[in-house]
Amino acid sequence: MNDLSFLNEMEKASGEKISGCYQCYRCTIGCPVVADMDLYPHRVIRYIVLGERERVLTSKTIWTCLQCVTCSVRCPNDIDIAHVFDALRKIAVKEQKEAETDTWKFDQYFMDSVKKHGRLHEIETVLRYKIEKKDFFGDAKMGMGMFIKGRMGILPHNIKDRKGLKEMFKRLEDKKIGG
Amino acid sequence: MRTLTYYPGCSLKTSSKFYETSIREVFSAYDIGLKELDDWSCCGASAAHTINETIAHALVARNLSLAEQENYPLFAPCSACYNRSKITNERLRADKELRDEVNRANEPLKCLGTLEVKNIIEVLSEYAGVERIARKIAYDLSGLKVVPYYGCVLTRIMNMETFDDKENPTSMDTLLWATGAEVAEWPFKMECCGASKTLTNKETTLRLSSSIMDMAITMGADAIVTPCPLCQLNLDILPYLGRGARNLPVLFLSEIFELALFGKLSGAGSHIIPVDEAIKKVIKVKTINTYEQRKNNGDD
Ligand code: SF4
Ligand code: SF4
Repeated sequence: MNDLSFLNEMEKASGEKISGCYQCYRCTIGCPVVADMDLYPHRVIRYIVLGERERVLTSKTIWTCLQCVTCSVRCPNDIDIAHVFDALRKIAVKEQKEAETDTWKFDQYFMDSVKKHGRLHEIETVLRYKIEKKDFFGDAKMGMGMFIKGRMGILPHNIKDRKGLKEMFKRLEDKKIGG
Repeated sequence: MRTLTYYPGCSLKTSSKFYETSIREVFSAYDIGLKELDDWSCCGASAAHTINETIAHALVARNLSLAEQENYPLFAPCSACYNRSKITNERLRADKELRDEVNRANEPLKCLGTLEVKNIIEVLSEYAGVERIARKIAYDLSGLKVVPYYGCVLTRIMNMETFDDKENPTSMDTLLWATGAEVAEWPFKMECCGASKTLTNKETTLRLSSSIMDMAITMGADAIVTPCPLCQLNLDILPYLGRGARNLPVLFLSEIFELALFGKLSGAGSHIIPVDEAIKKVIKVKTINTYEQRKNNGDD
């Protein structure tokens, strides 16, 4: 069933003028991962206009996207397609409709680390993700190699004003989720 | 002496520490001083805006407001940090509502969005300048063929004028040319390396990064040169991602300057793909007319 309020919802959530799309396919033609997508980027935009809410929110495409912004800078109508996908991710997660959970999970662990320390604690973040995925040895060689080359952070990651930073997170998280 | 507030970002303190060393050495040769931003925090990279856009802006604004107190332009060598800083800076300057919201969250810090934010290409072009770069060259790089790799997010920024063309940038080509290296034209200047999926979808990253490496080899290059620590790391770990084919060294832009100025790389040991072959191509010949010699002859 088509939900004609979806266009309005998405234009509000992303701040992008999605209705300006005239289906020129430029976004899709330049996308480096289009082969891994279940819906081509220009179709996603079209389906938003047509109100195919479920189809779009459950698509793999919004998670396959690398956020490389190629599509957005090429769009003749200045639609930031990558930004629209970003907004779709938030809604998909909120409604538990996401086709893939790894991207969101990793980004969340990344943010947890920043919230806790102020800076990214790479090892802690990667390990947390690996444990969650039960993938302990997949990249062990890479980890060791990087460690030997001095490319794994073992420095302190804590900033001084962690209190101020936590306070910021708290103020904005309380206010609204997803922003 | 020109001074910049230096925002290292997480990469230049961990996985790409040698990039920081390299930048410092090269900048001091051109009298560019760096004052590290006190108590800086992570910019949130691509993760923060996916999870929560307002928090993403507030994270960046925290650093911007600290930097605004310093009164120097802000230098962010990592392309992700630069990209996020540029975006938040512009948005906060233009959007009062967002600015107020972010400033309330960051209280007592206050960000106006008035700062100049610069990347390494801009700093070298503006503060060192092509002429001074060419004059200071002490080693001959003409035997070294490089392909400039800009990466995704340095110039692909929506809704604003960028320092170079969004899709066909040439500013780094010019800098490399000024160092005397042979710069090849190639179609993959801005091709995505897939860094954001290295952990969550290794196959995609391997495929994208591998094709960049293959194209560079096809062009007959000796090295790929990039200003971005995320691009550098992602291409440099190709052997670990499972690529069996030949790999070219992936050098930072400042490392080409190191070669041209000092004939060596301070961070050679931190590269995963060996750099010796590339270094060998440059240190052999000392140019007859080095800057120092010309100065001694009084013809500078
Ligand atoms: S590039 Fe823009 S106008 Fe063209 S199909 Fe994609 S979204 Fe529509
Ligand atoms: S931002 Fe996403 S959809 Fe757009 S070109 Fe890049 S990967 Fe494809």
